Amino acid sequence: MTQSFFQALADGLTLGSLYALIAVGYTVVYGIVQLINFAHGEIFMVGAFGAVATFVVLGGGTLAWWVLPIMLAGGIVAAVLVALATERLAYRPLRNAPRLAPLITAIGISVFLQEAVRLFYGRIPGFPDAKSNVQFPNIQGVTGSPFVIGGVTIQRAAVFTVVALVICTIFLYGFVNRTRLGRAMQATSQDPDTARLMGIDIDKIIMIAFALGAALAAVAGMAQGLLNHNINFRMGFIAGLKAFSAAVLGGIGNIYGAVLGGLVLGVAESMAVTYVPGVFGGSAWKDVWAFIILILVLVFRPQGLLGARVVDRA
Amino acid sequence: MRIPQLVSPEQQQRLHPIGTVLTVVGGLVLLASTFLPWAYSSAALDDMTILGYPSTLQLYAAGFGLGAAVFAFLGRRLARGDGRQVVGWTRGAKTASVAAAVYLVVILGSIGLELGGLVNVVYGGWVALVGALVALVGSRLLVSGRPPRLARRVPPAWLGILSIAAAMAVVLYAAYYGLDQEDAGGFVSFVVVAIGAVAVLFRLGVMRWLSAVSGRHRKVLIFAAFLTAFAFPFTQNGSDENMSIATQVLIFAVTALGLNIVVGLAGLLDLGYIAFLGAGAFTAAILSNSVFSTVDWHPPFIVVVLISGAVSGTLGLIIGTPTLRVSGDYLAIVTLAFGEIFRFGMINLDGTDGPDLTNGSNGIPGVPDLNLFGLDFKDTHTVLGIQLGRFANYYFLLLVLIAVVILIFVRLNNSRIGRGWVAIREDEKAAEAMGVNVFGLKLFAFASGAFLAGVAGSIKAHHDVSVTPDQYIFLESAFLLAAVVLGGMGTVLGVLVGATLLKLMPEKLRFVEEYRLLIFGLLLVVMMRFRPEGLVASKRRQLEFHDDDDELAEKIQSDIDEREATGVVPVGGQA
Repeated sequence: MTQSFFQALADGLTLGSLYALIAVGYTVVYGIVQLINFAHGEIFMVGAFGAVATFVVLGGGTLAWWVLPIMLAGGIVAAVLVALATERLAYRPLRNAPRLAPLITAIGISVFLQEAVRLFYGRIPGFPDAKSNVQFPNIQGVTGSPFVIGGVTIQRAAVFTVVALVICTIFLYGFVNRTRLGRAMQATSQDPDTARLMGIDIDKIIMIAFALGAALAAVAGMAQGLLNHNINFRMGFIAGLKAFSAAVLGGIGNIYGAVLGGLVLGVAESMAVTYVPGVFGGSAWKDVWAFIILILVLVFRPQGLLGARVVDRA
Repeated sequence: MRIPQLVSPEQQQRLHPIGTVLTVVGGLVLLASTFLPWAYSSAALDDMTILGYPSTLQLYAAGFGLGAAVFAFLGRRLARGDGRQVVGWTRGAKTASVAAAVYLVVILGSIGLELGGLVNVVYGGWVALVGALVALVGSRLLVSGRPPRLARRVPPAWLGILSIAAAMAVVLYAAYYGLDQEDAGGFVSFVVVAIGAVAVLFRLGVMRWLSAVSGRHRKVLIFAAFLTAFAFPFTQNGSDENMSIATQVLIFAVTALGLNIVVGLAGLLDLGYIAFLGAGAFTAAILSNSVFSTVDWHPPFIVVVLISGAVSGTLGLIIGTPTLRVSGDYLAIVTLAFGEIFRFGMINLDGTDGPDLTNGSNGIPGVPDLNLFGLDFKDTHTVLGIQLGRFANYYFLLLVLIAVVILIFVRLNNSRIGRGWVAIREDEKAAEAMGVNVFGLKLFAFASGAFLAGVAGSIKAHHDVSVTPDQYIFLESAFLLAAVVLGGMGTVLGVLVGATLLKLMPEKLRFVEEYRLLIFGLLLVVMMRFRPEGLVASKRRQLEFHDDDDELAEKIQSDIDEREATGVVPVGGQA
């Protein structure tokens, strides 16, 4: 009984870390421009594919542990570049448009990025065909035989995911509170007009918000690849939806809320699979539970667990 | 979008005579070139190798050339007066020149693609291109003049009605001809020609005139439009190929019109709309006489339609009640999540992961054809010696449904409810302060949209024969949304155009099959960037999307004044 509880907790925390890493991207951008960047799930996907691309180009076929940071850097670069391009080309011109316009644009970007990866990734010489699942390299150290602690099985990749979240959160805390840029971001989020009057370059802050989210999403993409051993061009859709749910759960616009929301959502999903009795407890329903949690949060606590900065802006 | 002006109005005033000469000469050169051969081999498009007379596709180019020349000639005196004009001749000449140039690029490009290289374009083709470019340059030098006042001319009633009938006949012929184009190159050229011709008519002022005439004879217009749609199956002579496309377009259009109430009128972004269609389809399939049905109760179809609508509407209420209280963005995501829940639910209700209701991912196959009032939909009927097959039967039923949906749409839009929706869309807080029941109206829009989708779904189930969860994925919702956005949010005509384009294009352009979604994604982004109000824009929407554009606001105001002066009611219930 306790063993299955801890197993569910471990699985939930792993999954939750993944959601949390992606959710930060939604929340940072929303906090500053009140835009739901629908295409963020696809940035996560691009990060994973960027990591594989780096492995193909620079890895030289070795699976040694030191390839990991190189792949990570490659994934982050790819994700950040794509995110900045979408911001510059698609979102920025729509900054003062009615709210429907950027949402529809985001759907367009999302479909476009998925299809671009599906169609063109495999055409680059040496790259694997992306029309079906792409094998993710099993890097030594973070894959392989799992740890077993008191009967609870923990994958090595799960440890990587949780550690990555911890490091990223510490980094985020430092960045937001201790640096000039981070404080400028907070100021912009609180009051863009006043921030502009204080000499803050809003365009730059928005770009940094997009880049920050993309970088964390790329880390999540890497983690997802290591956990599942393969990636595909559709992986961003459901993951993005869940991460958005996590961001709402934590209180959208609140960075720590996103982290907390991700962890809570992951654990709740995992617990639902373990403890909901009867047929609805099967793993086939786990996504449904996650979305039901989203809807319940909106009914009972729309400002989220930690409270969002803005909720009712139409 | 502002197209940069290459030539300022003052320069145009001065250069107008030169522009006229250039446009006339260019147009005539293009006209003459169509008598020359364009292609090296007759394998590309239609036979363009003949010296002496034009082929069909060349004839279109000749039409644009002649149009540019004649319109420029008729508008030659415009620079001398104060710019007042009845017909916008120079505007028409400009558009005809652009259309000619675009058309030639498409044609020569297709020849190059289909025969392997532009070397296969023979001298006639290059002469034509030069003519088109000369006309294009010349037309840029023409003055535009003030907007044409043709729409103010009130024709006698018989002429108006005759014009409507003629316009409908052209539409019917264009539908027949366009669907008849098997070859992708031919179809693309036809689409370019059709768009070009409509644009020229707009610029001349003819379309405004026609719309003013239609406004005066509304009932005639509506009757004629439905008669045209009704006549379409009779042009197909029993062939099922095009009729099956036509029924798919109609199902898509009905659903898109339902979504248009939610998105276009109430301004609520629903990204899981396909789930309501799916809920209706599954309900109808489960209650049908299919041997795979999991329920023992099989009521007649009239009852099933209502149940399907009610099931979808109830789902809409369940989803809408919590989410419509919070911001619009949340609604988008929650409906998206709901669409996924629906799909997972339908897959999981297969007997092993849940109660057996839908047979899981296999869905419910073998849904029998409808049998309404003794008419068996699977039979072929012969009317006036013309065979009408299974799809024609569904086509007529869907036509009735679309008429009902349009009626509901227009009635709602012009009612107190519709005014409330506009207010909510433009400023929710202000609307609430003015006493608009924001939550109630939103919920009503959401639930009624869901109800209509459920009704459409019940017919779709019988039309498609089998109902499976993978027909109702997020991408389909995105397609529906794209039809609404592309055509023009909040308009009936726009959504019909958008739905037709989005369903027809993939059927006819098989060679882009692979890139269909890529183009689709790009199209959404580009549309939002440059023309967020859609192809057929409702005036109010146009202003909402360009609220810092004073020039546009003035233009629309002057249009409204003009309309009030002539007492014309706009067509399609657009505000």
